[in-house]
Amino acid sequence: MRDKLINLKINGKKYQITVKSNTLLLNLLRELGYTDPKYGCGIGECGACSVLLDGQLTLSCLTLAISCDNKEVITAAGLSEKDQLHPLAQSLIEHAAIQCGFCTPGMIIAGKSLLDKNPNPTEEDVRQYLRGNLCRCTGYAPIVEAVLDQARKSKS
Amino acid sequence: MATYSDCLKGEGTFMFNVVSKKTPRLDAEAKVKGLEKFASDIALPGMLYAVVLRSPYPHAEILRIDTSEAEAMGAVCLTPDDVPDVLYNERGVSIPAKTYRDRRVLPRKARHYGEAIAAVAAESEELAWKALKALKVEYKVLPPVLDPIKAIEPESAQLYERVFFGEEEIAIKNNIACEREITVGDADKAIASSDFVVEEEYELPRVYHFQLETKSAVCNPEPDGSLTIWCTTQSIHNVRILIGSIFGIPLSKVNVKKIPVGGSFGSSIQMNSIIPICAALALKAHRPVKLVSSREEDMYDHCKYPSRIRLRVGVNKDMSIQGVEAEVLVDIGAHQIQAYPLLGSMAGWLVSLYKWKNIKYRSRAIYTNKVPACAMQGYGNPQMNFAVESHVDLICEKCGFDPIEFRLKNHVGIGDEFWGQGPTVRSIIKSCGLEESLKTGSELINWKERGHPINKTGRYRRGIGLARGFHTSSAGAPGPAEVIDYSGATVKVNEDGSVDVLTAVMDLGGGTWDAIAKIVAEVLGLPLEKVSLSPVDTRTTVYDVCTHASRGVFAGGGAAYKAAQEVKRKILEVSSVFLQEHPENLELVFDPKRNDAVIRPKGVPFKSMTLGEVARNAMVTGLGSIAATVSFRQKTCPPSFVTNFVEVEVDTFTGIVKLLRAVCIADCGTPINPDGVKGQLIGSLARYGGYALCEETEYSEQGRLKCEGFITDNKIFTTEEMPFLNNIVVHFTNTYEPTGPLGAKGIGEAAGNSVASAIANAVYNAIGIRFTRLPITPEKVLEALRGKEA
Ligand code: FES
Ligand code: FES
Repeated sequence: MRDKLINLKINGKKYQITVKSNTLLLNLLRELGYTDPKYGCGIGECGACSVLLDGQLTLSCLTLAISCDNKEVITAAGLSEKDQLHPLAQSLIEHAAIQCGFCTPGMIIAGKSLLDKNPNPTEEDVRQYLRGNLCRCTGYAPIVEAVLDQARKSKS
Repeated sequence: MATYSDCLKGEGTFMFNVVSKKTPRLDAEAKVKGLEKFASDIALPGMLYAVVLRSPYPHAEILRIDTSEAEAMGAVCLTPDDVPDVLYNERGVSIPAKTYRDRRVLPRKARHYGEAIAAVAAESEELAWKALKALKVEYKVLPPVLDPIKAIEPESAQLYERVFFGEEEIAIKNNIACEREITVGDADKAIASSDFVVEEEYELPRVYHFQLETKSAVCNPEPDGSLTIWCTTQSIHNVRILIGSIFGIPLSKVNVKKIPVGGSFGSSIQMNSIIPICAALALKAHRPVKLVSSREEDMYDHCKYPSRIRLRVGVNKDMSIQGVEAEVLVDIGAHQIQAYPLLGSMAGWLVSLYKWKNIKYRSRAIYTNKVPACAMQGYGNPQMNFAVESHVDLICEKCGFDPIEFRLKNHVGIGDEFWGQGPTVRSIIKSCGLEESLKTGSELINWKERGHPINKTGRYRRGIGLARGFHTSSAGAPGPAEVIDYSGATVKVNEDGSVDVLTAVMDLGGGTWDAIAKIVAEVLGLPLEKVSLSPVDTRTTVYDVCTHASRGVFAGGGAAYKAAQEVKRKILEVSSVFLQEHPENLELVFDPKRNDAVIRPKGVPFKSMTLGEVARNAMVTGLGSIAATVSFRQKTCPPSFVTNFVEVEVDTFTGIVKLLRAVCIADCGTPINPDGVKGQLIGSLARYGGYALCEETEYSEQGRLKCEGFITDNKIFTTEEMPFLNNIVVHFTNTYEPTGPLGAKGIGEAAGNSVASAIANAVYNAIGIRFTRLPITPEKVLEALRGKEA
């Protein structure tokens, strides 16, 4: 197994680290203390580990760290500033779209990715885009509502 | 979706300042930022990583485990020889005399595929996996017992010879784990002389909890000989007591931290099987150890109780029920976690639904070589509800009764006795919103327009269905019962008038902690932001049994209410010194202008002190801290009533059933967190929509899960299976529970119990086929449609 030195930016902070060829991005992030991407299945079925990799919605449990050389990762923690919540995060709070919160970091990343691509989604669009992010607590309705409401607000 | 102005009509609600108001979750910011630390997020310096060896056979004796190679790699190994020879039950809710014990930290015989039989810990996860592969196990493979009906035949293999019931060692015969019978009156005679007799058998599947966080633990042996534990649990005190008693550690030296849980739905009422494994490794290694289950391992750890329920009901022409005979068979899998109280509780759910007059209830729990079953949101109630609410529709169809009239005539309601947790936990119902629910719900869904299945044709056929249910709030009772149910809280006033609350009650995601903070704020006349829940552990809190049985708000909040009342009394006492008034002439109220709690002589608003001023004066004058700790048991177990109306669409070409519309009506007394109640109702639509339509963990003939750990092959609801936003309506009935804290009852489990029943009834209304076995998958729909045509 070959180790490789990679350059990686995580939530704005630069890292130069040696990773093994089989290290998963999810594990690397969590070892570095970015514990907001969660392990929910490890096989690409739940979306709890979602991050933005160079702006693209990515399942970090299916991504090898070695493939992220010279890339930028953004996690849910990186969306909100110290005292300023990301507007979608704010919307999720207002719509009571958080219960246990284990799906939440992945859900926010997926929601943001949708709004980046399509600032004007229909309810159908939101349902379709978020269907890979499982939530066992909320029944999804408040999450879908929060994303739609955020889209509406950023238009006005 | 219904807005709050629509659904919060309750008259009582305007009398509160904080309670029943919509407030953002206290932990919301930490959660959206991903900063909340769950068990699997805990990392300690010098920590070892543990992985578990799981049985590749459903039934096999473990003859030998050779750890030499793994140990040579530097791993710490744990085999059945390394754990205390103690048989325990992982759930500390029933009194010891009514608890079956059949489990060892690591067993000498594997009783289901995927059961933990050994474990290793090493410096890295990778090394741990390598060491695990190097373990050599010799098995004696035994024939598996997979079918609960065949399990009781004499030629079937036996899972157990002996187990403990209380302190008594008892023999297990024919894999029958336990049995319960309950008789009221003479059901056989009453049914025989009824005008109509309706009989049917129902079957409910084995489904997996699929809480998003897999079971995890971190254990740290401390220099003073104590053990600190961070783990997924619904009861930190249960983990403390069990770890202490299994490993012989004084309870003052086991410290379990209260941390958030990533969903649970009943799967962590018991101490999860990996926790003592992690503890044993940490004690052996003298190092902190972390153990995180994979999703597949988690699927092999727990599931809902699958049940077969046969009902025979006698009814007269005037719609009055004469008697019921019920036979219940539960396939509990490889261990008895709480089957005995389950059988009692299922009897309770049955008797508390309708006035049967005469009851003959017989129930059996059977051991099989499958994943051990445990409570899952409803504890036997969704199973019983599906049988009874399907059966009620069947009776109405056969006898020509109106389903709403029939329910109104026969339901158990105000003034009747309710069994909250089996025959020993009973109380009289004092609040009930069922009548209002049926009326409002039928209007909201357009019940009268639902039509009859024989008139429905074409590829897509729609149907409307209804079911009503309830669940207990806690297992409170006036006297001693089979079940332990008490809670505790400490409330203390800080020197600036802010307040800390210390409670061991867990929040499984439903918002219990917010409810507790709001109850305390309301009693003390404080704005919510002045009340904080302290980060605590088992060392700093008094006992709470568990967040289960929908008791978080009712019993946990009830204890906080008591403690706040006690603190209020003390505040008035201390204030009397400064205000020169008798405490009885003083009042503690919320002052909206100052947005603070003030103490003043009754009717003399200008002569007042804020709580902060009182606390500060008490400090300066040496009067001391104002605080109280209580341990409190509720004396009642009031049911919350929930009614579900749904509309489905059946595609008769593909067999796919879609949930189009849902009206959820809840009577939970005062909704302390209206958002939380709504969250329970809508979340339950997804979970029990899945129960009705797609979820089941099927087994291969080799005793393995057919889904092999994949969620996709054991599908749960996603965004796309839910009704659209405008088609979900939530309504709260106008009730107030006199025995609950500020009028509240528990909603957690009630929210789900009747959802699947309503869906099945709606499917019948669409295509005229009654499904008696869940889930109603497309294959089953197509098969039934073909059968109907033939
Ligand atoms: S953990 Fe990556 S998709 Fe589930
Ligand atoms: S909030 Fe618990 S899984 Fe989504």
